[in-house]
Amino acid sequence: MLYRTAGQFKTSYEADHALFPVRQDAFLLGFVLVLAFVVFPLFASEFTFRALLIPVLIYSLAALGLNILTGYAGQLSLGTGAFMGVGAYACYKLVTIFPELNIALAILFSGFFSAAIGVVFGLPSLRIKGFYLAIATLAAQFFLVWLFQKWGWLYNYNASGAIQVPNIEMFGITVAGPLASAATQYYFVLCFVVLMTVFAINLTRGRIGRMWKAVRDMDIAAELVGINLMKAKLLAFFVSSYIVGVAGALFVFLWRGAAEANLFDIPLSFRVLFIAIIGGLGSILGNYLGAILIVALPVVIGAVPELFGMSISSATVEHLNVMIIGALIIAFLIVEPHGLARLWAVIREKLILWPFPH
Amino acid sequence: MKTAIKTAVLSSALALGVALSAPAAMAQEDSIYIPNLSYRTGPFAATGIPLMNGQRDYINMLNARDGGLNGVRLEYDECETGYSTEKGVECYEKTKARAVVTQPWSTGITLQVLPRTNVDEIPILAPGYGFSPMADGKVFQWAFNPPSSYWDGASMILKYISDGDLDTLSGKKIALLHLDHPYGKEPIPLFEKMAEQHGFEFLPIPVGLSEMQNQSAQWLQIRRERPDYVVMWGWGAMNAGAITEAVKTKYPMDQFIGIWWSGHDGDMQTVGEEAKGYKAISWSVPMPDAPVMADIREHVIEPGDSMVEDESQLDWVFYQRGLTISMMLVEAIRAAQDEFDTQTVDATQVRWGLENINLDEARLEELGMSGMIVPFKTSCADHTGHGGGWMLEWDGSKFVKVSDLITPDREAIAPLEAEKAQEYAEANAPWPTNEECSM
Repeated sequence: MLYRTAGQFKTSYEADHALFPVRQDAFLLGFVLVLAFVVFPLFASEFTFRALLIPVLIYSLAALGLNILTGYAGQLSLGTGAFMGVGAYACYKLVTIFPELNIALAILFSGFFSAAIGVVFGLPSLRIKGFYLAIATLAAQFFLVWLFQKWGWLYNYNASGAIQVPNIEMFGITVAGPLASAATQYYFVLCFVVLMTVFAINLTRGRIGRMWKAVRDMDIAAELVGINLMKAKLLAFFVSSYIVGVAGALFVFLWRGAAEANLFDIPLSFRVLFIAIIGGLGSILGNYLGAILIVALPVVIGAVPELFGMSISSATVEHLNVMIIGALIIAFLIVEPHGLARLWAVIREKLILWPFPH
Repeated sequence: MKTAIKTAVLSSALALGVALSAPAAMAQEDSIYIPNLSYRTGPFAATGIPLMNGQRDYINMLNARDGGLNGVRLEYDECETGYSTEKGVECYEKTKARAVVTQPWSTGITLQVLPRTNVDEIPILAPGYGFSPMADGKVFQWAFNPPSSYWDGASMILKYISDGDLDTLSGKKIALLHLDHPYGKEPIPLFEKMAEQHGFEFLPIPVGLSEMQNQSAQWLQIRRERPDYVVMWGWGAMNAGAITEAVKTKYPMDQFIGIWWSGHDGDMQTVGEEAKGYKAISWSVPMPDAPVMADIREHVIEPGDSMVEDESQLDWVFYQRGLTISMMLVEAIRAAQDEFDTQTVDATQVRWGLENINLDEARLEELGMSGMIVPFKTSCADHTGHGGGWMLEWDGSKFVKVSDLITPDREAIAPLEAEKAQEYAEANAPWPTNEECSM
């Protein structure tokens, strides 16, 4: 009923290949966008912005970057955290060297630094595959974090070794730093994430995306049909690291406000990888679903006992939280090993046929 | 299968019912909300738990013994961070609405929260940790790190090993074994300056977060370089790791000195006798016979309101330090209540209170905490108080005080503090400063 496709005729190939062959999908997306742009900001408190909405968006973006590399091009990477760090440190240097530079441009530029580093560390992918490549990207992870600690120039020789976000204005409104309001930061991040998502959707649906998928499914066959493996793989590293770098810059500048090198260590890489895997590799929607599960759900669960006036110590809540999230992850992966995006796809298929399943 | 589901549904419904009918712990009108960003989980839990227990028990004791503070209940609340900076942001946002103070409990979280407190106007209480230049109350209006900063600690250690005359250190080699983290890097600028002034060689040896428990490389370096003293800025698992390695490499324990966070009974007990002679500077000393301890036992431990599992932990340095931390805060609130003639003080008033803590010997005696913490006094320009500290020594089963009160060499530190505070303010412009303060 909800997803009745009867009456939606396609009269051209273009219509058949459109982004939304089913009209309800477009409505659903519109609804989500209205929620994100209008409804949430109207009702969200500062806590909701800073602990739920902004982190979910930023983690989704990082997972999106990783998904392009791992989900679409099939190159496993464990260095996401470090590439986020490159974006963050590059943005910090840009902002402190050129204080007049528009912050949006600085963030977009900083992605190129991490893209370049990503390509360098992507070179081994031409010779090695699978788990062995994962180990090579792990090397990037360790090396870069070490570099963030040791290279004083990166953090302007601060005594604490941490980078701190100054107040930055854009068109007269403070968007980053302690004076920025949470709603401004949310809109800023939201615009970036929407922009990047549109870019990623178009890229993955087009020629380049198909090239990546061919390489992922069987690289020898892809090479035989004339795909330049070097170009395809390095391009995947470039685009992926670019998005991850932008996510890293947003992570520090629009959310955390300060960062030390350890922040970009391996737990962050794993966190982003888990979001991508649980959300669904090779999907765009999955990144958002995964981030909601991994980033937002613990915050929501943490607030439940208080809501009911139960007096459980916060350490116990934390332990319970870890257990619940762990159990949910296992449960979801048993129900649908291909991630939440696939689970949604199955539900959608069923809805289209409902109430006549045959 | 069906019955199993039924039972599950029934029991969860029951649980929900119980939860809903439980008396809601509603915020009382006349209470002062004191949140604490605690860490009872995660890699640093072993050091966090005794501190948090101490903080919690002191407040509970006041509530049980005196019905709060001047007739108003103190509402102590913990938000668990697990020492993660990400959870720190979440907890800060969650608790800030009603908070009169924020206690970030990690240098990383302090760095994130510090600029925001200026905007949200909530004082940070970071006793004995955080950024040393926070002592400059003109620049850091909302941050407090009494009674001694890390630079004070470094200066006191140098004073102790040189018997008060730093020039005797000339030609010696002092290694700083530190956590490679903002916390561990804190004292480096001061050590460097002192090394230059007094002609000793300074050798920083960083320990990465991932190598805390296996410091063989660092101790190999110490064996090779043979420093005259090893000073340690360690935390959590790093302390136990370093002391075990020191015992293994037979480094003389009397030349091994830690900062106050490296003097934790729990860390030392694993090595016991063998670590005899290890020292740590500290601004608090456990006093098992202090009158306040009797009150804690009577009002908190015996009714079973404490989270302390083993009574021997009540005599730990960290547990009693937790008590003194809550005491400082309560004294600040008390001062604010007197000044503003109100029971329920707000964050701005507590800030005034923190600037006007006056803990002299007489006051400590009244509180039953005489000798447990160094006497100190804060002011509008001085947010630390610089009370100094004592040297503690591990005697094989507990820490004992082995020195008189050591005070930091303020003349050497103050210019550096002013310089770094100014640098911070410039890097974070526009940064509001308090010009009404006179030094």
